[in-house]
Amino acid sequence: MEALFSLVKRNNKVFRRNKTQVFYSLLSVIIVIVLYAVFLQKSQINAIEEMIKTTPELVTMVNEWIVAGLLSMIAVTTTLAAYGIAVRDLESKAQADFLTAPISRATIQFSYVLNSFIIGCIFSFIALIGCEIFIASTGGQLLSFGDFLKVVGILVLSVLLASVFNLFLVLLANSEHSFSTLSTIIGTALGFLCGVYVPVGALPSFAQNIIMYFPISHTTLLLRNAFMESSISKVFEGAPASQVEEYKKVYGIVYDLHGNILSTSTSMIIIVVTIIVLAIVSIIIFKKKNK
Amino acid sequence: MTFAIQVENLCKQYGEQQAVKGISFTVEHGSLFAFLGANGAGKSTTIEILCTLLKKSSGTVNINGYTLDASNDNGEIRKSIGVVFQQSLLDARLTVQENILHRGKTYGLSKKQLADNYQFVSTYLHLADIENRKYGTLSGGQKRRADIARALIHRPKILFLDEPTTGLDPQTRQFVWQAIKQLQLETNMTVFLTTHYMEEAAVAHQVIVLKEGEIVAEGTPDELKTKYAYDSMAIVFHNSSDGIQWLEKNAISYTEKLGIFSIRVDSTLHALTLLKKAEPLIASFEVIKGTMDDVFLHIMAEGGAA
Repeated sequence: MEALFSLVKRNNKVFRRNKTQVFYSLLSVIIVIVLYAVFLQKSQINAIEEMIKTTPELVTMVNEWIVAGLLSMIAVTTTLAAYGIAVRDLESKAQADFLTAPISRATIQFSYVLNSFIIGCIFSFIALIGCEIFIASTGGQLLSFGDFLKVVGILVLSVLLASVFNLFLVLLANSEHSFSTLSTIIGTALGFLCGVYVPVGALPSFAQNIIMYFPISHTTLLLRNAFMESSISKVFEGAPASQVEEYKKVYGIVYDLHGNILSTSTSMIIIVVTIIVLAIVSIIIFKKKNK
Repeated sequence: MTFAIQVENLCKQYGEQQAVKGISFTVEHGSLFAFLGANGAGKSTTIEILCTLLKKSSGTVNINGYTLDASNDNGEIRKSIGVVFQQSLLDARLTVQENILHRGKTYGLSKKQLADNYQFVSTYLHLADIENRKYGTLSGGQKRRADIARALIHRPKILFLDEPTTGLDPQTRQFVWQAIKQLQLETNMTVFLTTHYMEEAAVAHQVIVLKEGEIVAEGTPDELKTKYAYDSMAIVFHNSSDGIQWLEKNAISYTEKLGIFSIRVDSTLHALTLLKKAEPLIASFEVIKGTMDDVFLHIMAEGGAA
């Protein structure tokens, strides 16, 4: 146990002290923030104003929407970047040094997973605080204590999902080169796959299906529900139920998959099952690789 | 008597290619053992197998009384060995002390034991001036000191060094060597190293020369020198043609380069008798002692006694 903790601590320091790496892990999130500040927020507000009268809560609702998307992305990009240490250790043969100590390859591998999870949690919580400050300073309301706990719970789950999802990908990447290609692809595709750059409803139906089948987008959905519940009810006060429904579908707050509205518990199940399946598959790949 | 390392018929196969072809040797407790060979001779492969990093194809290996690849023995072997790799493998952004302690904690030592051990390696390798500096900012020689300290943090019985001085400047090489020799003497640790510097092998107790995965020569440095190296004498004659005449008259074989004649002599005394006879012809001379370099070149050229 002490050996594992020591390895995790070491991985953690190695990651945090590499400032450029930390920056790159946040790059796709920074891009979203810039896009949002430049035009995404404005165009979204304009679009919603066409269906409903303007209220002060409208800006808050849109802000909360983007914040939910950002938080789900951070979990993925930071955990992936943290796995960079594993790839580098393997390529630079640094792992050989650990292997001359009485610890197993599985312990070493697990230390990378644990480190990824911890890094993901740290960054997600910092981002959550930042998001709350942003919402409060733009005239919105802070999350209630109950909702805050709910958001924290979803964040932990989404970081867990991201850690396992990225572990699976990293096990397939054998060199630093393939890892950096992978990071670029994930960083670029993630904003689309979570329906953050463009709302789900604005995409053709096959693209909508890809998003709904992409397990990580369900963490975005859960976060949006947790953040936006009260602002949605305020913005759409007195509006017909069909209009609220339409808004939720277009902006990915509920998924309408092949004519079925998915409940939030369905999303939960999708996330948990994905975690379990990917964990098992990763263990099998790991064992095969180290036979 | 038991040996620190006992290897029998060790083989390593990479697909079609056989990197190590059934080598056997023993290393005594507390000795300095050198593994010599050109690049690609199988030195690193052998050392990686002994350090439990690489699976052997066949053969038996016993290290510090534990059998390699036997049920739980690899863990015990790892506790008894320390390894200094060819490359620097510590983390560049961590300080020397952080590096050593993080890795030290993977050996299951008590807090006090680890602190004591750190004190020991720190004194031995003069870490005081570099322990709080980031490993990545150190010079080549300082890095090597940290590498060796890391390998010793759990006070292993056997220290493996894979070409520990390759790429270092002469002064640092000397420092590293002194540290290794001192350690071996004072702590009675077994030191197993690979090198391609002959003069380093010369101070070992036992030397094995490896060529293309096979042992082509082994013995103490003296034994090897007696067998494979000889003294020679370089002579410059006042008049080269007179010199040739004299050499041929006495049936002495020679080689000539730029007017310098090299002849083989059995000993320095033998050189003296030759010199006395030819004294009037000689402008200058030099007796050259046989070195480990000769041993190596000779073995590599002829394939040794095998």
